[in-house]
Amino acid sequence: MTRALLAGLLAASVLCGCKIVQKAPGAGAGAAAPADMVGQVVADTYEARLLPHVAQGAVDARELTAAIGQGLDAAGEALGARAAGGGAWNFLAKGEGTVVGADRESRAAVLEVDLDGDRAADLQIQLGPVVKGTALRDASPFYVFTDFKDQIEFAALARALNARATEALALPEGDLLGKRVAFEGAFALRSGSDPIQVVPTRLALEDAP
Amino acid sequence: MNISRRAVLGALAVGATGVVPAWAQDSKGLIVIITPSHDNPFFKAEADGADARARELGYATLVLVHDDDPNKQSELFDTAIAQGAKAIILDNAGADASVAPIQRAKDAGIPSFLIDREITQSGVAVSQIVSNNYQGAQLGAEEFVRLMGEAGDYAELVGKESDTNAGIRSSGYHDIIDQYPDMTMVAQQTANWSQTEAYTVMESILQANPGIKGVISGNDTMAMGAWAALEAAGRTDVVVVGFDGSNDVRDSILAGGIKATVLQPAFAQAQMAVDQADRFLTDGSTGLEEKQLMDCILVTADNADQLETFALAS
Repeated sequence: MTRALLAGLLAASVLCGCKIVQKAPGAGAGAAAPADMVGQVVADTYEARLLPHVAQGAVDARELTAAIGQGLDAAGEALGARAAGGGAWNFLAKGEGTVVGADRESRAAVLEVDLDGDRAADLQIQLGPVVKGTALRDASPFYVFTDFKDQIEFAALARALNARATEALALPEGDLLGKRVAFEGAFALRSGSDPIQVVPTRLALEDAP
Repeated sequence: MNISRRAVLGALAVGATGVVPAWAQDSKGLIVIITPSHDNPFFKAEADGADARARELGYATLVLVHDDDPNKQSELFDTAIAQGAKAIILDNAGADASVAPIQRAKDAGIPSFLIDREITQSGVAVSQIVSNNYQGAQLGAEEFVRLMGEAGDYAELVGKESDTNAGIRSSGYHDIIDQYPDMTMVAQQTANWSQTEAYTVMESILQANPGIKGVISGNDTMAMGAWAALEAAGRTDVVVVGFDGSNDVRDSILAGGIKATVLQPAFAQAQMAVDQADRFLTDGSTGLEEKQLMDCILVTADNADQLETFALAS
């Protein structure tokens, strides 16, 4: 009992002190990048497990967008995956469509893809080098947070997977509008009204017939 | 200081020799809830969320604060063990320093359920439910870069270095921002999560870097301090983005001040930890992975009006 009271007194006594510690510009606050461990996991799993997992698990993108249109949670339960803590639904998708828009100027470059021929974009394909999200990692049950030291390491894994996926993309220069595109990849959705942004593990572009 | 009266009364009730603890009569047992100081409303929301849920489920509660002092936290664990707690809900006082007391409780048959902050070992606590600080920081950084038009000088305010969340958020910010070559960080300083420190730090950053266009902050209290300094200097053109989802920053966003923050669902997270504790005590397992990430949510002028006490109305 005295402990709790004492604790209260101690607590009260330390509240008012404040000091200013200034850091030189550029002195990073982040922990050292756990690149080696993560690099090893990516080397061991990207081709051996992740690519087959995407290829085998990918659902046709038109089927997915239709299901999501009916309700994200139901679509997620049936066709997606979600972490124990809840949050976004992660989906594996494949499909073909037509490029109806492209932003290759932004560091977060994207293609806008029409799947159903109405000339309106149904989803985006991320081209990098800035790739948003952690869908490749989170759509794959063999990447488990408990196996990693902390959030930084687990996040580094997601980023390394994104980089591995988009670095491998070979895109033709110039205008991509009107080209046919075939893709496989993963995306995450928190709300049915959010845009679908696929991280591609496979992407092929060709001139429209 | 608001170490809760409940905590002190609880300690009195249980500690008095020969008196049967009040909670032993008609409850499922005692859940001890330990967090940092409630002076930060974030931690109060956590404690309130856990306390309310535990009572709903029929437990007695003891709410304690460790003030980020590992020694004090260790003593509070001894208190929990001495009082025969059924479970401990903890927002810990140090990723390394917390391992030993959690192990001590485990050895005494008391499972711990962690929220908000991770520890460096797995297999000691039953659950570690943490906000996905990295994902949240990336959300905040993406919005920050967008608001900055992908270019310009900016400053970063970093949290307390001993708190791993400070480093994780900074990494998340930079993993996005550093990929934009026209974004230039002209200052990176800690303000130790403190509003008053952030005010002073922001004043000096502004003097040295009058051309600054944006400030990205590791939490909302520092964002509030920075915004106050910017307002005082007539620089309300500067884009400020925070992290936490506090009511203060919500109000600033709605008034056209701070532009965005990232909500950590503190209240829901604490309730989830209690639910898992209850399931573990009832079934012997939570049925879930130990480490769980809870997504954060971007808060802007579009949805700020739905934010209340670290929860978004659906």
